This record gives sequence, structure tokens and C-alpha cells, in this order.
Amino acid sequence: MRVIIILIALAVGIISGLALTWVASASSFGFGAIRIGAWSAWPKSGTVEADPYSRAIFARAGELPLGLADGFSFVASSDDIGAPLDGRCDIHIEGRLPLARFWTLTIYDSRGRLIDNVGERWGYTSAEVLWEPDAHVDIVLAPRARSGNWVPTGGRDQIVAILRLYDAPVGVGSRSGDAIEMPAIRQEFCP
Amino acid sequence: MRIYALPIVAGLVLGGVVHIVTTLTMPRLALEDAFSRLARLGPPNAVQMIPDPKPSEAVLPRMDPSFTSAVCVYDLTAGTLRVRVPTTTDYTSISFYTRHGLAYYALNDHAAGQRTIELQLMTAAQRAALPEDEEITAADRLIIESPTTEGVVLIRAFVRERGVREETRARLAKVSCASET
Repeated sequence: MRVIIILIALAVGIISGLALTWVASASSFGFGAIRIGAWSAWPKSGTVEADPYSRAIFARAGELPLGLADGFSFVASSDDIGAPLDGRCDIHIEGRLPLARFWTLTIYDSRGRLIDNVGERWGYTSAEVLWEPDAHVDIVLAPRARSGNWVPTGGRDQIVAILRLYDAPVGVGSRSGDAIEMPAIRQEFCP
Repeated sequence: MRIYALPIVAGLVLGGVVHIVTTLTMPRLALEDAFSRLARLGPPNAVQMIPDPKPSEAVLPRMDPSFTSAVCVYDLTAGTLRVRVPTTTDYTSISFYTRHGLAYYALNDHAAGQRTIELQLMTAAQRAALPEDEEITAADRLIIESPTTEGVVLIRAFVRERGVREETRARLAKVSCASET
């Protein structure tokens, strides 16, 4: 009987511990991240003070974080109301962006790969994007061609958007949520 | 039923420990981490161009396709490393990572304020062994201390428009990284 009780304890321990680590090290769950609207960021991931969760997430993905003096990245895998970003919908990323020397917005599939398309259009940079008046941008991620700033999603069911701010003023990463204005993300015409 | 309560509670406590230990060791245990992927590009202490990411293949996941990059995977066992980076006409950055992916230093062309960024990478022990007068004459030379013997220097250049990609890549190919003994 005692052996069974010890075995149960060990099994519960190992399974729950590994499961928790597996979930926490998948970037989409945003463990240890700050959230601004639909966007998550790991403010210290690009410094020597990176927290264990962000280090585990980057190591597992095989990715290198942006050094803080280089840039700062925000990841979105769901929209403002929390629905996962679905490449079969029309996804609008709209609003003003934080101050930086320049920025890039890139779309990936759920495994971090670029999405194949004829025009090799994987996102926009602040140099290429068509700006609205009042320093707004409106970028549409959609399976079918659109006028304006269109990024093809190839109809992938799960996509991830990453906004990277380069040479951003010190403090972008250290301030709390409401100090930074991030664009809104909404989805429409979902199948 | 009560007989199972204790092992389950004990198991959950153990689970917490397992979670903490596995999370902390993940950077050391990950087999397909960035260092391993980049080390496959070529020998250490030399510059390797990273192929621009494509949907079919990319050296690292989630690379920014608006950049073109080169890498120098280093091993300071034999001596210090000298890195020379001629800046491109647009944004250029140099980032330093430890063997296990910790970003310990980064600088960009604005911060450096020079046309060619020249720096010397060494371990704390190698720095301590520098002759003192050399440290003074080295005031104009940037010395960076690596927390680990092995690591990665990632050099990235922004490609503002498609037309300048080849030119930017050609400039980036002039980056040098060499071991000094």
C-alpha cells in the first residue's frame, strides 16, 4: 500500500511538473510577459536579467532574443478580445505605434516560419507602410488580396504577429502597460 | 478517498519542484537552441553569413526578414576575439549572446558613432591579464567581457527596401572576426 502511495505521489509530481514547464515554455501562453492589449513582451529578455521563463521560451524555440540596445519585440497570437489570430479571417492591426527609429511588423505561422506567398510579402516596415493621416497605420492580414497594407496569410489557421521596435528610447520595456500605445487588433469575416 | 489526498498533495509539491528545476535547466538542455543551429553554419571564430530567412528554411525561427545577418560563433579558449564591423548605410547592430542564449551586450551604429565598429571580446580572466599600460592605450578600443567562454556575436543590418538587399549583404560580408593569441 505504501509503495502505491509513493508511486502516486511521484507520478503526480513528475507529470504535473513537466506539463507545467511544457506549457510555460511555449511562447503563446505568455508566462512572465507584460501585456498591452493583445501584445505580449518580455521586457528583460534582451538583458542579462532575463527571467527564467523567457530564457526557457527562447531556448526551446531556438530563437535569440533581441538585445535591448538593439530592439524590443511585441508578440501577438490573439486579438483584442482574446480570440486566436486566424489567417482565414481579415485581421486589422490598426492604430498608432510607439516611438522608435523604425519598426517592422512580421507575420509567422505557429511554428515561427514565414508564410509563403508569391510577392514575398511577410510584413511591413515603417519605411514601406502606407501611413494614414495622424500617424496611424492600418495593416490587414488576410487570405485574399486587399488594397492598402496587405499581408497574405495563406489561410493558415494559426498565425503570430511580431512588432519589433528598433533603437527605441530607453524605457519602452520598463514602463507599465498604459504608458505605451500599441495598435489594436481585430478580426472580421471569419469563416 | 482520503488515503489519496496525501500523495496527491505531496505529488503537487514535487511537481512544483520539478517545474522549477526543468524551467531553470531548459536553456542548458535544449538541443536545438540558437547556438547549436548557428554553430552548424561553419567553424567558430570566423564570420558566417546567415542565409536570409525563407518560408521553406530559416536558420533560426522568427527571424526578422527585413534584416540581413552575419554571425560569429566564438570560443575564447585559445585567445581573445577581434571583431570589426563596417556599418552599412542604414541601421546596423551587433548583439552578444552567451552559450545559452543570454543577451549580455548590444550596440548599434548610432551608439557607436563610427563608420567602423571595432571591438575586442574577452573573458574576465583574459581582461585581468591585460598589461596595465595596454589598458590605457586601449581607451579608444571597445573591450567587451564575455560571461562565458563560448557564445555568439550576431551582426544585423536593416534592409530598408528590397533593392538594397544585395548591397547591404555585400557590406555585411566585410565584417571580420578573428581569434588573437
